[in-house]
Amino acid sequence: MKNTIELPLFSAYKFDSNFYDELFNKNKEIRDIYKTLFKLFSQYSVTEFNALNERAKESFFNLGITFQVYGENSVQEKIFPFDLFPRIIEQKEWDTIEKGVLQRSKALNLFLWDVYHDQKIIKQGIVPIELISSSENFITKMKGLDPPEGVYNHISGTDLIKHADGNYYVLEDNIRCPSGVSYVIGNRTAVKHALFGVFNKYNTHRVVDYGANLLEIMESVKPKGVDNPVCVIITPGVYNSAYYEHSFLAKQMGIDLVEGRDLFVENDFVYKRTIYGPQKVDVIYRRIDDLFIDPLAFKPESVLGVPGLFSAYQKGNVCLVNAPGTGVADDKAIYTYMPEIIKYYLDEDQILSNVHTYHCSREKEMSYVLENIDKLVVKPVDESGGYGISIGNKLTKEEIQKVKDTIKANPRKYIAQPIMSLSTHPTYIEETESFEPRHVDLRTFTLLGKDKEYVLKGGLSRVALRRGNLVVNSSQGGGSKDTWVLK
Amino acid sequence: MLARVANNLFWMGRYIERSEHLARYLNVNYFSSLDAPNELSQSRDFVLRSIMYMVNDEIIESDIKLKEEEVLFNVGLNTEKPYSIITSFNSAYENARSSRDLISTELFESINRINHSIKNYNPDTFVKNGLYDFTSMITKSTAEIRSKIKGTILHDEAYAIIMLGIYLERALQVTRIINSKCSDAAVEKSKYKDTVIDDSHQWSTLLKCVFSYDMMRRFYKKTPTKKTTLEFLILNSDCPRSIKSSLFLIKKYIQKLAVNQKGSTNSASFLIGKLHCEFEYKLIEDIEKDTEGFIRDLINKLIIIGLKLDDNYFKIPEAPVSKTNNISSTQKQ
Repeated sequence: MKNTIELPLFSAYKFDSNFYDELFNKNKEIRDIYKTLFKLFSQYSVTEFNALNERAKESFFNLGITFQVYGENSVQEKIFPFDLFPRIIEQKEWDTIEKGVLQRSKALNLFLWDVYHDQKIIKQGIVPIELISSSENFITKMKGLDPPEGVYNHISGTDLIKHADGNYYVLEDNIRCPSGVSYVIGNRTAVKHALFGVFNKYNTHRVVDYGANLLEIMESVKPKGVDNPVCVIITPGVYNSAYYEHSFLAKQMGIDLVEGRDLFVENDFVYKRTIYGPQKVDVIYRRIDDLFIDPLAFKPESVLGVPGLFSAYQKGNVCLVNAPGTGVADDKAIYTYMPEIIKYYLDEDQILSNVHTYHCSREKEMSYVLENIDKLVVKPVDESGGYGISIGNKLTKEEIQKVKDTIKANPRKYIAQPIMSLSTHPTYIEETESFEPRHVDLRTFTLLGKDKEYVLKGGLSRVALRRGNLVVNSSQGGGSKDTWVLK
Repeated sequence: MLARVANNLFWMGRYIERSEHLARYLNVNYFSSLDAPNELSQSRDFVLRSIMYMVNDEIIESDIKLKEEEVLFNVGLNTEKPYSIITSFNSAYENARSSRDLISTELFESINRINHSIKNYNPDTFVKNGLYDFTSMITKSTAEIRSKIKGTILHDEAYAIIMLGIYLERALQVTRIINSKCSDAAVEKSKYKDTVIDDSHQWSTLLKCVFSYDMMRRFYKKTPTKKTTLEFLILNSDCPRSIKSSLFLIKKYIQKLAVNQKGSTNSASFLIGKLHCEFEYKLIEDIEKDTEGFIRDLINKLIIIGLKLDDNYFKIPEAPVSKTNNISSTQKQ
């Protein structure tokens, strides 16, 4: 094989031995699994690859796989940055991931049941009461309420990273209706079109069956006494940045995509307004936050939700997917207790490791954090989308002091973790017209229903497009890659 | 089907059809005037006024001097004008986007791609030398979209609703085009009242605006006159763009929706049936007596049918969703 440096597309590929590079090993040789794929990429000239890349972007644009940015006078439509070099996960490696994320989702479900019922785990001193009582995401109205078939987190998104030691670690659990699955499927379609020649040489699991499985899961948690449940997805509307995903999933499942105003509640039953009058709705996959689903039960100013929906839910007449109040369990402070939570409910050791976490709510740990901020990532426990994160080695002295003051003012709100070295993956950088290593993580999607569980064999590999950046969230300028799980 | 989405589909159909008629009217009127037989019909001012009258019901004061590039830009690509082609097509797109879970990927892709082409069309090129290219692109695109509607989506209520939108709008636009050209012909006649003029070019233009010139020639085998043209465009059941054909199809598709409902004398379905029956036994001689009155009455009836459809099928509470709601939703991404 040619020396990679000679290949124009890889001439800017700079190794950093502090990170695990998924394409090259420490000796700068192509890893076996990527050899066939790399051979294909090495055949492209820069001009050819640029053309291929442009065509792929154009197909996203034409298919409307976009989000809109609202300016003062105009609306701009943008595609999510997408990279054509797919990430490959071997079967053995995937088996561990799949078992691990399923284990976590099940444990979290049992934890949620317990938290909203007897709170045994707290009474036995395994998880401190403060974590629950001080959590903004604990919904008192959910106490003692039995969700249909006992399922809270029907859909879980688990974010993983591959560390310098070559092992996967869980970065966080997302069980408040995680997004991104439509891009998994969109990316796959784009890569199939662009790289069909090499696709044949890898025996890859398909990802397109997600919708069918989600519908089965939704139907399995129907309210009592319903034979053929009517399922819908509720969206905040076309202006929501995830609207494409909402409409995509509705289409995949062949169910209605509703807005709050399409539904109403009468005598604690939920109905949709159709051209022939009201029709009862049984299962709602809601893509609206807890506090916005029902202005009568939560935020009265919400116009996105449906008045009376929570009351219908309390009566067991409708199922909400995911259940309200799941946020209490995907809080970054609860995350640190996951090994104990898994052990407590499943009597198993955790399959996927956590990143070590320091709680600023504990005095000893807080003083360690304050002394070592330059080596740590400090995160607020209840923010999402990568907001409020400080990465220690990127901060100036003044900034470090500022972070210290913020932590001291509200220790409960912060945790800290060692700066993890996310693995790097070849990513096409348009400015340099070549591939460069960029940090990636992996979001997996797990579904739980009545007597049914499913893990999407693939996932969203999110890539931080700026050199050296470790934050991969799309709201922070991240892109994504197709992810192949081999059979 | 959700009432809100049905409304979106209905208006998607209407705006697609509207875009086509606006583009075709602009194209045919402008280009046929270039070599029209007399000074008036050749004048830029006359054709620009005709265009403004058709697209916006606007009768412009005679002392106002119209600027050609401004009128063309306003009708074609001015996003601030509610009557422009770009506004109309963008509304079709927005309605398709709000119901994209229900329509086929192929249909949405076409609408989306065409919307991008329209939005990115250079206004300078358009007014200087792109008029033909742009308007032809619209008419080709709308044909492509209609074929995707027919060929890729389920022929159920959703389809019936899109078709209702398309044919109701077609009936309205064809009526407006007839109105506009009759008015042009009347102006021409009054200007040259002392001489006998051949006004067949006005009727040829009218037929071309409605894609019906060739077929009209085939049917009558004679140069078009006012009487034959109106007869063909209003009453010919075999002409796919005649008012009678549109009414027949509106009736056919409303029946698909009204199947579960008992007809009330105040329902959209009843009004459509009644109007269609009137046309079954109408003669061109009846219309000729008072063409203007007939057109006014027809436009009113079609508008009432549109309102009734809204009332019978699409009613939902006022839209609370606005752009700011996106900010209030702190969805975990």
